[in-house]
Amino acid sequence: MSAEIVLFLAVAVYGAAGLAVGAAFVTVAAGRVLSAPGASQPVSFTFGARLLILPGAAALWPYVLLRWRRALRQP
Amino acid sequence: MSVGFRAVQWNRDKIVYDAILIAATAIYIAGFAAIVWTANPPKNLPDAIDVWIRAFGTAAFLMLTVILCIGPLARLDRRFLTLLYNRRHFGVLTFFVACVHGWLMIEWFAAQDALHTLMPELMTLADYGKFIGFPFKALGIAALLILFLMAATSHDFWLAFLTPPVWKALHMLLYAAYAMVVMHVALGIMQYDRSPLIPAMLIVCFGAVAALHLLAIWRERHGDRGPTLTADGWIAVGPPASIPDKAARIVVAPGGERIAVFRDGSEIGALTNLCAHQNGPLGEGRIIDGCVTCPWHGYQYRLADGCAPAPFTERLATYRVRLSGGTLEVDPHPLPPGTPASIHLPNGAPLA
Repeated sequence: MSAEIVLFLAVAVYGAAGLAVGAAFVTVAAGRVLSAPGASQPVSFTFGARLLILPGAAALWPYVLLRWRRALRQP
Repeated sequence: MSVGFRAVQWNRDKIVYDAILIAATAIYIAGFAAIVWTANPPKNLPDAIDVWIRAFGTAAFLMLTVILCIGPLARLDRRFLTLLYNRRHFGVLTFFVACVHGWLMIEWFAAQDALHTLMPELMTLADYGKFIGFPFKALGIAALLILFLMAATSHDFWLAFLTPPVWKALHMLLYAAYAMVVMHVALGIMQYDRSPLIPAMLIVCFGAVAALHLLAIWRERHGDRGPTLTADGWIAVGPPASIPDKAARIVVAPGGERIAVFRDGSEIGALTNLCAHQNGPLGEGRIIDGCVTCPWHGYQYRLADGCAPAPFTERLATYRVRLSGGTLEVDPHPLPPGTPASIHLPNGAPLA
C-alpha cells in the first residue's frame, strides 16, 4: 500500500470517528460536560450553537471523548 | 456573557462589523480579479482559475495580516478596540477565503488533468530539503488546518470547555499559521513570478506585524516600572485621586502579574488585569452600569468581589486594598476568585 493511500485512510478514519463522536457529543453531552457537579439542569444550547460546535468536536474528538467520560464518572 | 449558548449573540454592532467585513473582502477580491483580468487577459481555463487563486490567496494573506495587527493596534490606541470586538468573525471569514483559495488550486490541477501529480508532489520527502522546489503547498495546507482548528473552536463554548489558558494557547497558533503563509508565498509564487508587487506586499505586511508587536511590547514594558513596595510588601499605588473616576490604574506585582486598581466614586477595588473571557486587559476598560467592563467584549464584573452579575458565573481574583497615610496600597497576593475586597474611602478623602 502506498504512503498516499495510508495517509488518506488515516485521515478518513479520524474524520469519520470525529463526525460520529462529535454528533453524539453535541446531541446529548455538551451541556452536561459544562455543568457544575451536582447541577440539576445541564447548560442550555440552541440548535444553531450545537451545529457550530460540531466541527470542533469532530476535530478534537479524542479529547472530547476523554472529557465526556470524566463527566459521566462525576456524581 | 452567557449562561446558555446560542449560535451567535447578534447585536447591531456585530451586524455592521460583519457587513463591512464581507463587503470589503468581496470588493478586494472582485477588484483584484478585474484588474489582473484586464491587464493580462487569461488565454485558457487554468489561466482564468489562476487569477482567482491569486485574488483569494492575497485576500487571505492580507486578512491574516490585519487580524494580527489588530491586537497591538488596540493596545497602542483605544480607537482600534472597535476592530478587536468581533475579531473572531474576521478569523472565520479568513478561513473561508483561504478554503476557496485551496479549492481553486485543486480546480487548477483538475483543469489540466494533472490532479494525480498533486499527492506525489506533496509526498516527495527529498524535496523538503530544497529551497528552490520546496513543496510550498504543504505549508499552505498546514496553515489552512490551523485556521480550520481556530475557526472550529471560535465559539464561546470552546472557551469554557478548553479553559481560557488552553483556548488562548491554541489560538496563538495563528502566529505559526502566519509564518507558514509567509513561507508559502516566499517559496511558492515569489519563485516564479518576478513581479515586484509580491515581495513588496510580503515585506510590508510582515514588517507591519512585527513592528506593531514590538512597539506594543516596548510600550507595555516602558509603562511597567518596578512597583514601590511598603515595608510589609504591599504595592504603593498613589493617592486615590490619581485613579480616574470609573477607570483604573494598572500596577505590576513583583512577580510580574498586572493588577487593575479601579475607582468608582469613593469605592476602590483591585482585580486581576486579565478578563475571564479571553484574558482581555480589564484595566483598560471602564466602570459601566456599576460594573468593571472589559474593553474587548464587554464582559462585566462587580468591583466589590470580582463576580459577574447574576445570572452569569464568571469570577476574577481580587486583591486587598487599604488607604495608608493618604496613599492607596494593594496586597500583591491574589485572593480566591470572587472574594469581596473593595474598600470605601472615608468622607473627605481628596478625590479631585
